[in-house]
Amino acid sequence: MSEFLQHAPSHRAVRVWVRHLVMYRTWFVAEWAGSLTEHALYLLAFGYGLGHFVPDMGGMPYAQFIGPGLVVSIAMWSASYEATYGAYSRMRIQHTYEGMLSAPLTVGDVVLGDLLWCASRSLIGAVLMLIVLTAFGLVGSPWAVAVLPVVFIEGLMFAGLGLIATAIAPSYAFFNFHNSLIVMPMFFFAETFFPLQGLPPWMQAVSQAMPLTHAVVLSRGLIVHGQAPDAAWHLLMLSAFTLAFLAVACGLVGRRMLD
Amino acid sequence: MERSLSELEFEVDGQGLAKSYGALKAVDGVDLRLRRGGCFGILGPNGAGKTTTIKMLCGTVIPDAGFLRAFGLDVATEGRRVRERMGIVPQESTLDTDLTVYENLWVYAGYFGLSRRESLPRIEELLQFFHLREKWGSTIRTLSGGMKRRLLVARALIHRPRLLILDEPTTGLDPQARHLVWNRLRELRRQGLSILLTTHYMEEAAQLCDRVGVMDEGKFLVEGAPLDLVRERVGEEVIELRGSEADSLLRELDGLPFHPERVGDTLYLYCQRGSPVMDRLLQSGRRDFLRRPATLEDLFLRLTGRELRE
Repeated sequence: MSEFLQHAPSHRAVRVWVRHLVMYRTWFVAEWAGSLTEHALYLLAFGYGLGHFVPDMGGMPYAQFIGPGLVVSIAMWSASYEATYGAYSRMRIQHTYEGMLSAPLTVGDVVLGDLLWCASRSLIGAVLMLIVLTAFGLVGSPWAVAVLPVVFIEGLMFAGLGLIATAIAPSYAFFNFHNSLIVMPMFFFAETFFPLQGLPPWMQAVSQAMPLTHAVVLSRGLIVHGQAPDAAWHLLMLSAFTLAFLAVACGLVGRRMLD
Repeated sequence: MERSLSELEFEVDGQGLAKSYGALKAVDGVDLRLRRGGCFGILGPNGAGKTTTIKMLCGTVIPDAGFLRAFGLDVATEGRRVRERMGIVPQESTLDTDLTVYENLWVYAGYFGLSRRESLPRIEELLQFFHLREKWGSTIRTLSGGMKRRLLVARALIHRPRLLILDEPTTGLDPQARHLVWNRLRELRRQGLSILLTTHYMEEAAQLCDRVGVMDEGKFLVEGAPLDLVRERVGEEVIELRGSEADSLLRELDGLPFHPERVGDTLYLYCQRGSPVMDRLLQSGRRDFLRRPATLEDLFLRLTGRELRE
């Protein structure tokens, strides 16, 4: 038992988070110039371009329909990127983790610090996207800010999922699978661009099994109406996915880093 | 609990340490002891088990058998407290390439729980000590190999550890950079730091260590003070002869106290100082030999053989 506790996280995880923040200062502008522009383009191209021909979606203008989806999608992409490419280079290429473990940090500190960092990046993305939506007049209620705790949980969830991929990845190329087989399908089919009502039952079932769907429903409800239908159910699902991914991720990463 | 004598006397005390990877016994029954203030060098060819042994102390390799204490603490259950008291310089750079020299040091100080106010003067002092002050704002990519290694050592000292662990501290450095690192390490020893290092440079061990252990195939073959080991196991002098008449020469020297070894075209004669071998060679009119003091390298090669290790 005390051997197991050797690897438990502590308050020092914050120092790992600080390290990531220091690193991030140099990348911040370039990265958000890319990621935010990309999502703003989705909003313009689909929301306003396609929206010109699709005046109403789920009882609202199309831009308003996809806007909240883009908030949680940017959060998903940020956490996923950080937990795959970012964490992989820290673990395997730059030996950053090894350096941390030769200080009085544990595997638990390193993983927790990384998870918190991924979730922080999700939060930053979501806040920026919310500002964009506000500028376009697409935010219907001040309760929209309640989406941020949802985004934080979502960030942890995709960080966990990404770390699982990182722990088993033999090289960077492996993340192509992660992106195109896991993240990308969610981006398109988790009620981000169209509602599920009226679609074939199998498609509805698949969509319900996607973790992102629950974040999208919560986000749309909160940003457009200030409240989400079945909020408790979606939060429960989101939390369940998060806990499951985190448990698997911690086990796999620990095995990868210790002999 | 009453503390035993060994806990007080030894910074590191390991017994019967073993670690296997499948059929390969990387470490196979090693006792590892380091006296307070001492410098112990683990010598060995590539793959001897040096790094695995070191990583046991750092907690990243968990031994299959044996026990390991450092500073009187059990490494298996109190790894965090152990690592708070030691500095680790790994073989390959684990410097943060995303950060500058200065950021590397203060971020790392944070891992030890040091506040900014505590770490700033210490960083200043270390940059000075390792001749890195002008480089404080540089990114890691722009540093030379020697600077990176000095920064790694500086980083390991940020929290004023009692013990410094170095895994091949000067591999890949040019002679100037190597001598600077050695010089700094000797200065640190004078200040009372205990040092544990691995190396396959015999000169490094001779320069720095008061005790060495020669390791091969996961075991220590011999252990002791470098000069004593060389004298006991090899002799005091080595005479090297190159050429084809080795066999006839050996017959000439028959009966004299020496130990011969043939490697390729070279004949090595290991003997004590003032041995009659020299006189006999001079009498026979030969001048094509080299006479030199025996070194750790001779001991090392005698013990671990001369075939390539890859």
